[in-house]
Amino acid sequence: MGWRLAAFIGRRLLYLIPIVLVVTALTSALGAMLPGDVAVSMLGTQATPAKVAALQHQLGLDLPLWRQYANWLGGLITGDFGVSYRTGEPVLSAIAQRLPVTAELMALAELGALALGVPLGMLCAARRDTAVDRLVTAGAFGMLSMPPYLLAVVLTYFLAVLWGVLPSSGYVPLADAPLANLRSMALPVLSLALVEWPPLARVLRSDMITTLRQDFVLMARAKGLSPLRILFVHALKPSSLALVTVIGLNLGRLIGGAVIVEVIFGLPGIGQMLVDATLTRDFITLQGGVVFVTLGFVLINITVDMLYAVLDPRVRHGSA
Amino acid sequence: MQVTCRSIARAAVLTAGLILSLTAGAQVRGGSVTVGVEQDIPGFDPLVIGIYDTGAMAAAAVLFDTLTRLDDDGTVQPRLATSWTHSPDFKTWTFKLREGVKFQDGTPFNAQAVASNYRRMIDPDNHCACAFYLSAIARVEAADDMTVVYHLRNPSVKLPALLSPPTVTNVFHSPAAIKERGKDYNRHPVGTGPFRLVSWQSGGELVFERNPGYWRKGHPYLDKVVVRPMRDPNARMAAVRAGDVDIIWHDIADDVVKARADDSLTVREFPASGVSAVVFNLEKPPLDDVRVRQALRYAMDLEAFTQSFMHGLMSPATDPYGPGSGFECRDVGALHYDPAKARTLLKEYGKPVRLRYMVTAEPRGQAVGQIFQAFWEAVGVRVTLDPVDQTTFVNRSFVGDFQIGGWRIIDLADPDPQMYADFRTGSVVNISNYSNAKVDRLLEEARNTADTDRRIAAYCDIARELNHDLPWIWVTNNHYFSIARIGLRGVHKQYSDVVDVADAWWAQD
Repeated sequence: MGWRLAAFIGRRLLYLIPIVLVVTALTSALGAMLPGDVAVSMLGTQATPAKVAALQHQLGLDLPLWRQYANWLGGLITGDFGVSYRTGEPVLSAIAQRLPVTAELMALAELGALALGVPLGMLCAARRDTAVDRLVTAGAFGMLSMPPYLLAVVLTYFLAVLWGVLPSSGYVPLADAPLANLRSMALPVLSLALVEWPPLARVLRSDMITTLRQDFVLMARAKGLSPLRILFVHALKPSSLALVTVIGLNLGRLIGGAVIVEVIFGLPGIGQMLVDATLTRDFITLQGGVVFVTLGFVLINITVDMLYAVLDPRVRHGSA
Repeated sequence: MQVTCRSIARAAVLTAGLILSLTAGAQVRGGSVTVGVEQDIPGFDPLVIGIYDTGAMAAAAVLFDTLTRLDDDGTVQPRLATSWTHSPDFKTWTFKLREGVKFQDGTPFNAQAVASNYRRMIDPDNHCACAFYLSAIARVEAADDMTVVYHLRNPSVKLPALLSPPTVTNVFHSPAAIKERGKDYNRHPVGTGPFRLVSWQSGGELVFERNPGYWRKGHPYLDKVVVRPMRDPNARMAAVRAGDVDIIWHDIADDVVKARADDSLTVREFPASGVSAVVFNLEKPPLDDVRVRQALRYAMDLEAFTQSFMHGLMSPATDPYGPGSGFECRDVGALHYDPAKARTLLKEYGKPVRLRYMVTAEPRGQAVGQIFQAFWEAVGVRVTLDPVDQTTFVNRSFVGDFQIGGWRIIDLADPDPQMYADFRTGSVVNISNYSNAKVDRLLEEARNTADTDRRIAAYCDIARELNHDLPWIWVTNNHYFSIARIGLRGVHKQYSDVVDVADAWWAQD
């Protein structure tokens, strides 16, 4: 089994190469379609055609697009992500400083969504078609239809402005002060988690209803095990296959949500970097960010596929 | 009602001023101020970033010093320069520098440092985007250790005032630090200012601590200043209301009105010089016809626009200078709202008018676009909005790919640099492609005259010509705002839209 898992992971990692190539080539092409480039953006209100041409030459932007891309790719292979046109900051160093912020935001948001979604999903399954089930379902659809940017504003108004219990801005690095860091992350995390839990709860509910009909659950009941023990110890694992898929999908969506939430709360993460880089046409920085987002996306998917094997013996033994 | 509100506000400002003068000398030391600014700060090296926007200038105001400063009356005062003289033709200016000033890295601030900063920015091999702002300067040289001489290509009557705001070309970097840091200097700037940069996470806030060797004894009052980029205006407003941030740069009228009603906040406002404007591209029909442009102006009820959209906080502009410029022109022939005249002019023109109006794709740009679109459609002009992002907007303005666009004349101590660039025939920044021999002559005259009255007369004549030809429609006079927690004192006037907390302090409760 060990070598098969290794082969599986190796194969998936190999896919990563064409994926990164396609995604970054597309990003390059899309960027080139936008009017104006980083030279225009840097010159601002003085971006006269002659000055733009001079700066483009200086930055190497007058080369054909495929050569710019090839140059960038050549650098990437040797681990050189290039230097931001706009700030002169090495892209890799900018990403290294911002990645922990986004990773923490996403991890906490997903944990928060699980902390809400799993118990509520199980509650609904156990109390199927009762008032509780309907109430949670209504709440789930209400939250699902709430965009994170709206929720962010509403939460800020109540929790920061009106009651003053949480800070509305000002990221504190985790290493500097863990508690202050968690406080500064609370509103962004809530804004994401509160819209991410409903799909988890819904999927878990329906799978668990199926599981609870199985003979082994009846058997457990007959043995007199407590309902909570049955739910958590016996029923949760076999019901969580679809849940894991949704978590994987959710994390992908969270990258998009992180962009919005980071801009609103001024968090110095990858999302904010992508927005700034796009608006200022700093495509070297954008490309570097895109590589890491792509990596993250693919690695999450590999992890999800591996979890299937852990959760479902049929996948593990290749006899589905 | 409006009058009452304004007079109350004015009385409040006067009272605040009185309290300030009574407690002068009682400035409290210590504490920290967090400034919320709109844009992410890309850095400080002129060669790398080319220009400071409002965010970078708020940081530059505490990190660096300029040669001069404007006091609250708008009079030029010494800062790094102690005195100055000029040649009779105003083309050579000599500044005496302050003795004993050191950069934050301990190296001395002197005439060689000043000259070296300019040499670096002007050197054509360095391709500094900032060089445009220095195009009037031929060279800056050190006459001796403590004397610098500016040799200008054109006369500049107001040079000392123009050197006062902390723009990219007005602040002084330590030449030693530039040499030592090289490419890294952009994110590790060293100035002579009251605060030095101690930490800056990529994309995050900049933390400044008091410069213990600052040349002004007893300054600064604060121990720490934090400059925090916050792109979202709602988030910025929420942060200052919640007290997470102490002062914010802001431009949303609704929030200014809310903040005025909030006991825990102070609104500071500065009626500046300059205007925001609608810009026509005169190269293509139908906007090459002055009747169409005049019709579009007659269709605009700017009084109603400023009252409703801006709660009367800003006033409609009748010339490009504004009340903050000190230039009061009598009767500059500004057109006013008159839809009947607009229809008559369009009828004279005879052909149906269809236009595309390029606006910035953010809520404010689009809202203003929709209001003007409604004005114009009401007199029978078909207008399509064309929302684009800021970079696209600037790019298309310069390559002439627009019919109606927009531009700003920013707050500077003198109209010459911008008026000459925006309206002189053939100037690369003249995005309207406007050409009027009389305006050209008047621009030269204003540039080459030191006599204040003659300059005002020339600029008022220019405004009259522009109000007739209408390459641009002046919309509102610039008016800058900041919103702060109530106890914050000593914030300077918002010259050039800089939120300057270098001399701020906290009142004791």
